[in-house]
Amino acid sequence: MSSLLIERPLPHGGRLVERVIEDKRVARKIWKSCNAVYEIKPTLHYETGVPVRNVYREIMSICYGFFSPVEGSMKQAEVERVLKERRLLNEWIFPYPLIFDISKDDLNKLGVEVGDRLGLTLKGKPFAILDIEEIYEIDPEELAYKTFGDPETNPEVVQQKFDKKHPGWVIYRSHQPYVLAGKYTIINPPKLKPPFDRFWFPPRKSREEFEKRGWRTVINHQTRNVPHVGHEFLMKCAAFTGDVEPCHGILVNAVIGVKRRGDYPDEAIVEAHEAVNKYGYIKPERHLVSIVLWDMRYGNPLESLLHGIIRQNMGCTHHMFGRDHAAVGEYYDKFATQILWTKGIPSFGFPAPPTDVPYGLKIRPQNMREFSYCPTCKEMAYSETCGHKREKLSGSFLRGMVAEGVQPPSIIMRPEVYKVVVKWWKHFGYPFCNEKYVINKEKELEVDLEDL
Amino acid sequence: MAYFMVVLLDDSRMEKIKGTGLEEHIKYMFGGELRLLEVEVNEDLKNKILAEFETARVDSRGAITDVPVAFMRELFNQVVEKKSLGPEVVEGVLAKVGEIKEMAAKESEYLPPPEIEV
Repeated sequence: MSSLLIERPLPHGGRLVERVIEDKRVARKIWKSCNAVYEIKPTLHYETGVPVRNVYREIMSICYGFFSPVEGSMKQAEVERVLKERRLLNEWIFPYPLIFDISKDDLNKLGVEVGDRLGLTLKGKPFAILDIEEIYEIDPEELAYKTFGDPETNPEVVQQKFDKKHPGWVIYRSHQPYVLAGKYTIINPPKLKPPFDRFWFPPRKSREEFEKRGWRTVINHQTRNVPHVGHEFLMKCAAFTGDVEPCHGILVNAVIGVKRRGDYPDEAIVEAHEAVNKYGYIKPERHLVSIVLWDMRYGNPLESLLHGIIRQNMGCTHHMFGRDHAAVGEYYDKFATQILWTKGIPSFGFPAPPTDVPYGLKIRPQNMREFSYCPTCKEMAYSETCGHKREKLSGSFLRGMVAEGVQPPSIIMRPEVYKVVVKWWKHFGYPFCNEKYVINKEKELEVDLEDL
Repeated sequence: MAYFMVVLLDDSRMEKIKGTGLEEHIKYMFGGELRLLEVEVNEDLKNKILAEFETARVDSRGAITDVPVAFMRELFNQVVEKKSLGPEVVEGVLAKVGEIKEMAAKESEYLPPPEIEV
């Protein structure tokens, strides 16, 4: 094999974490050994009471290996190390604290101690267990500030002090003050509901799927949006990276979780991306849509690190990163993610890019700029290539057009993609996420559970 | 940075601006597939819009977006009424902010979908 060929990387940490018990007899036995049972609740906004996160998504992503090598709710020393150096206690890089937080009242009611096994129910059904190794207290506000950095400590990329307008900061600020740390194990695997079920490719399955399709090199496209033609061209052109030939596959991995008002519904996002391959804009043999369960923290460079970890674990060789990757507002430099992956950000623990530090990542970044319409070339053109004045494509502009009931021209949104948007608009009575959608979604979730 | 708001023009809106003198300001985008007018917004008005409507955003082009549909409808009405694309158009819209917010509250629950086959 040529030394120029890139091979599928090992999972982050060297092996996939898989903590899911499929055998119901074994699961029932484990369930009986629990010292207490706790029904998982959504994390509510510390001021408004609206759902902002559900820890079940973290448990799913940890136990199915998306977040390998993380195996559970982090201990205090691990949280401190992650906040200081963005590393786990086993040295592997990781951007965010992941913890199982509960209120003082709930802790008292449960009466659990270190060494106990806590049974976790979801929608009233047994779901997972948490083997408690440590119980400690946090200050959610301090955690929120430390998680994202600040202009004094991280002057390379943080431009503005975080506050309650930042949805990721709100998630950590809304955590309960007590943490039960220890490993999770899913003992009753939830069933993904339609349409999400057909996009569920946890790392083992996605790696098998790549193998089946003969995809040695795969580039990931991160999304939380319905694709416009600019996204389509980004995918098509970024895929020209690879090794001696373009990437064999394009993996679209949609982040499914609590949405912001004005985002498209998750159901529309996944089906709209599917329409791109279903109607041949990118051949289905070359394009796969998948999901990961995660309530986005919008931490720009830190979020990109998590995205790199998730997609390496799924078997991708490359990851495209754009301007303002997973960002909200102007808290970070617009190119913070690209700075991280090309130079590193020393104050976040990266004197070199995350691919060039010990216990770092193997996935290769493909930093991209923008595509927009060029009236001279009469095509979608890349900002760093086309020398003409171009018409910028903006997601917000498109949303405005959609809300006014104007079908976007096919040069900016494929008609089949627009039809998917309208399909779910008819279903929810609204084209975007509103308060009602968010509340219902967090009640219904993306999964159902059977009896154990 | 110069700010602006986009007024999309479909056939029925084209009829309404006939004779206003605004026809010569129509811009065409995306290979002529989209017709629109751009309404000027100054810094002060931009700040007022962002303060009044929490979903409003300024995109990378300097366009103010994500305001309620009721705002956008009134924006067009004001363009026709004032026969202008200057800041007085947005001033006219903001003068009706209470009314717009009332309509926006209803539209955050329901927006009628377009009648197309899906």
